[in-house]
Amino acid sequence: MLILEFLVKRILQGFLIIGITSFIIFTLLRVVPGDPVRLIVGGMAPPDVVEKVATKMGLRDPIVVQYGRYMVGLLQGDLGQSYLRPRSGMVAAGGQYVDPTKSDMAPVTDLILERLPVTLQLGGVALVFALLISFPVGIAGGLRQNGWPNTLAFAVQSLFVSIPNFWLAIVLILFLSVKLNWLPALGYQGFSYVILPALVLSVEIAPFIIRTLTTSFGEVMQAPFIDEARVRGLSRRRIVYAHALRNAAVPLVNLLGIQLSTLIGGVLVIEYIFDYPGLGNLTVVSVVGRDFPVIQGIAITTSAVFVFINIIVDLVAYLIDPRVEL
Amino acid sequence: MDLSLILDVDNLTVGPRAHGTPPILDGISFRLHTSEIFGIYAESGGGKTVLSRALADWLPDSLTYRAGRVLFAGHDTLKKTSTSTFKVGRDIAYIGSKPQSSLDPTMPVGVQIAEKLHSVRPEWNPKECRERVIQLLGEVRIPSPAERYYEYPSKFSGGMMQRAMIVDAICAEPAVLIADNITQPLDVTIAAQIVALLHDLCLRHKMATIYLTSSLPILGQFGKRTAVLHHGRFVEQQPFEQLIAAPQTEAARSAIDSVPRIWSAGEGPPVRRHAEGEAPLMRVAGVHRTYRQRKRGTFNTYRNIQAVRGVTLDIMPRENFGIVGESGCGKSTLTRMLAWLETPDTGTLVLGGTDLAKLSPRELIRKRNEFQLLLQDPYTALPPRTTVGRMIEESLRIRGGIPRKEMRTKVTAAMAEVGLPAKLYDALPNALSTGERQRISIARALILDPKLLILDETLSAIDQREQSKLIDLFSRLQAKNDLTYVFISHDLAMVRKVCTRIAVMYLGEMVEIADNRDLFFDPQHPYTKALLSAAPTLEEKPFNAADFLLEGEPPSPIDIPPGCSFASRCPKAFGRCRVETPRLREHQPGRFAACHLLDSAEAETAAA
Repeated sequence: MLILEFLVKRILQGFLIIGITSFIIFTLLRVVPGDPVRLIVGGMAPPDVVEKVATKMGLRDPIVVQYGRYMVGLLQGDLGQSYLRPRSGMVAAGGQYVDPTKSDMAPVTDLILERLPVTLQLGGVALVFALLISFPVGIAGGLRQNGWPNTLAFAVQSLFVSIPNFWLAIVLILFLSVKLNWLPALGYQGFSYVILPALVLSVEIAPFIIRTLTTSFGEVMQAPFIDEARVRGLSRRRIVYAHALRNAAVPLVNLLGIQLSTLIGGVLVIEYIFDYPGLGNLTVVSVVGRDFPVIQGIAITTSAVFVFINIIVDLVAYLIDPRVEL
Repeated sequence: MDLSLILDVDNLTVGPRAHGTPPILDGISFRLHTSEIFGIYAESGGGKTVLSRALADWLPDSLTYRAGRVLFAGHDTLKKTSTSTFKVGRDIAYIGSKPQSSLDPTMPVGVQIAEKLHSVRPEWNPKECRERVIQLLGEVRIPSPAERYYEYPSKFSGGMMQRAMIVDAICAEPAVLIADNITQPLDVTIAAQIVALLHDLCLRHKMATIYLTSSLPILGQFGKRTAVLHHGRFVEQQPFEQLIAAPQTEAARSAIDSVPRIWSAGEGPPVRRHAEGEAPLMRVAGVHRTYRQRKRGTFNTYRNIQAVRGVTLDIMPRENFGIVGESGCGKSTLTRMLAWLETPDTGTLVLGGTDLAKLSPRELIRKRNEFQLLLQDPYTALPPRTTVGRMIEESLRIRGGIPRKEMRTKVTAAMAEVGLPAKLYDALPNALSTGERQRISIARALILDPKLLILDETLSAIDQREQSKLIDLFSRLQAKNDLTYVFISHDLAMVRKVCTRIAVMYLGEMVEIADNRDLFFDPQHPYTKALLSAAPTLEEKPFNAADFLLEGEPPSPIDIPPGCSFASRCPKAFGRCRVETPRLREHQPGRFAACHLLDSAEAETAAA
């Protein structure tokens, strides 16, 4: 019952958050300089054509009206149509004229649904890599606060946090794919294309996980119940893995919820470098092209993902430690 | 009775790993037979915990065995051999003084006990372990054990948790049980229950028990062989009665002397100086305070925690008024209301004729000069980076209107009055002793010329000598400045020593208010009797203590049962107690109590 109540409450809250984000993004996009109509109709078009197209597309209506129209569409699962991308998949250029007011432009929903799974795959694999690197290093560092494993944990996290991701991406492409020819580097044609970008992303997340694990593990190992577990007759293995790890995991789970924003920021750069056809790549291209509907769609999707993952994180934290207030 | 030798400790010596440091335990030798209870007294820091850890092969990394043997049923427990069958947790079990932090907070209590049982007794299957744990939880009188099995440690009170830890220790049928100061964090009535329970269990399960404590009176409940551990050595070993009657060593004698006295204390309670036609200094009338807490698992419902439920009392000028009660009885909330840090939901506080609720914020600051609160812990009550002089003058500065020069003379005068040397004016508090810190707090309050001082556990955490010095100081200040004190405490011996009139609080209500002598020698309310029975002293009590051993724990302030709030634990409760709440009434002149028994007693005398 408690969990159900929590879910209902948080999902309602989530809708509110998504609504507010979408409104802010919507307004900002229309307030910043740069008229998308100018881009759509081309630089040479006379001003009266620009006005005509703009009015036809409803871009001269008050922002609130535009937003209302947009939200009505959103509730029906319609995020509008791209200004720049036709259904055929090509980007409209100045040469050929595609009427952006007609229905031969790609629906934003399709664009996003096509790319979201690819990006989620990248994020998920990166997270798994990061956990695989961090757990052994972090736990060893936490268990031996004064020994070499702690020094190692510190060294690894300092190293990782100082490597710029674009540099690491280029170096990895150079060695693993150009020289050794082990992994493909650019584009996306299957799972093997995820590995390189995910590695780079994981190096970005790992230091924070290592840091949290070493400190929280170190603290838990000092706790009286860990000390007393020995005299109660529990084995060292049970003490560390069944009790210490469980208690140390709570701050880690919370951290992962927050780290999500880093992950999203990283995805933008890395997808662009690896020409990985995910949401990040789409974002960069759409921002450059002032493709309002796509940017809005991505913003709403990202905030929805954010809200959803944070609900999961809080739920997991509660399941691990029942003292956490839901 | 089976009297085979189970534990043989020979010349056990333990010390820090570094060479040349003095040992912490020095040549400890004793023998223990099955079903025997061995009490060990040591003052805090006397090596109790090190001894109990050394016996359980559980020394912290910084310490090491230097010499000696611990033989368990003939096997040396300290020699690590593959053939050794000895197992800590199964053969020797340990119960510590921190029940609340002894288990993993993220797992249910019962599950963890069963986990331990299964790992030391792998031959018992998990289902058997679970059933045994539930059965034992019932045996230590935890209500509805099958449900409590799945509850988390944070849901257990201190006393309940200590019972669970007893189950944890005895579930694997250990031959030897080590109990290290297990009642230290508990309230006196709960501690008395736990000791009686443990005693009973030890006899029933035929466990040899080593009971280490820093409270000598508790060992009297066992009455068996008792040793005094002093500076890491056994200086004396005798049966309990002989030890008390004829201590052989200085250590034992000072231990006996340091046990607080309630009934045989020589000096009588101080007498209040009466004046003609005086009005109470503070009138507390029907104050209530309820906290609202969101209820988990619901959208918008709150539950009410009734911390203080209708307290009415008058504090007379120049009196030492005591308020006693156990943890959770609402005395801290009441203290905060007396100091007007919190306002009552209903009811009034009238100080010297002024209703505090009717004052404007500015008037209230002026009025606050008259009543000042002294906090419990002198370490956290003082800002660490402020000089002593600045701290004391702080309240003068807040009120303003006094030139700087004059302020300094006022501060040094106040310091002199409480016995602080003037050279401390520019000192920081970090190097000062507890007593000196306490004096700073007193000076801080005195500089405003208050009429009423509210002291929250002020005299509890300090040693006997410093305590009596402060008591002297308080009575001197009282004589000089016409002060009135309210002492809030759980320490009965201290209250007996200083208070003229005492109120006993239970579950947010006053159950008895009487003069010092009346309260201690002829208590009216069964709870007062229980509280006094459980007081850890070595004295003959003026009534039969065994009649007033309480069962169970106080009800939660969220679900207060109808009728008398004490009825669920009262050994003398009858039908009326469970339906009608008794009012606090003056049954004899100056003696108030809230109990139906007294009404019926009165009715009987009236009829006769």
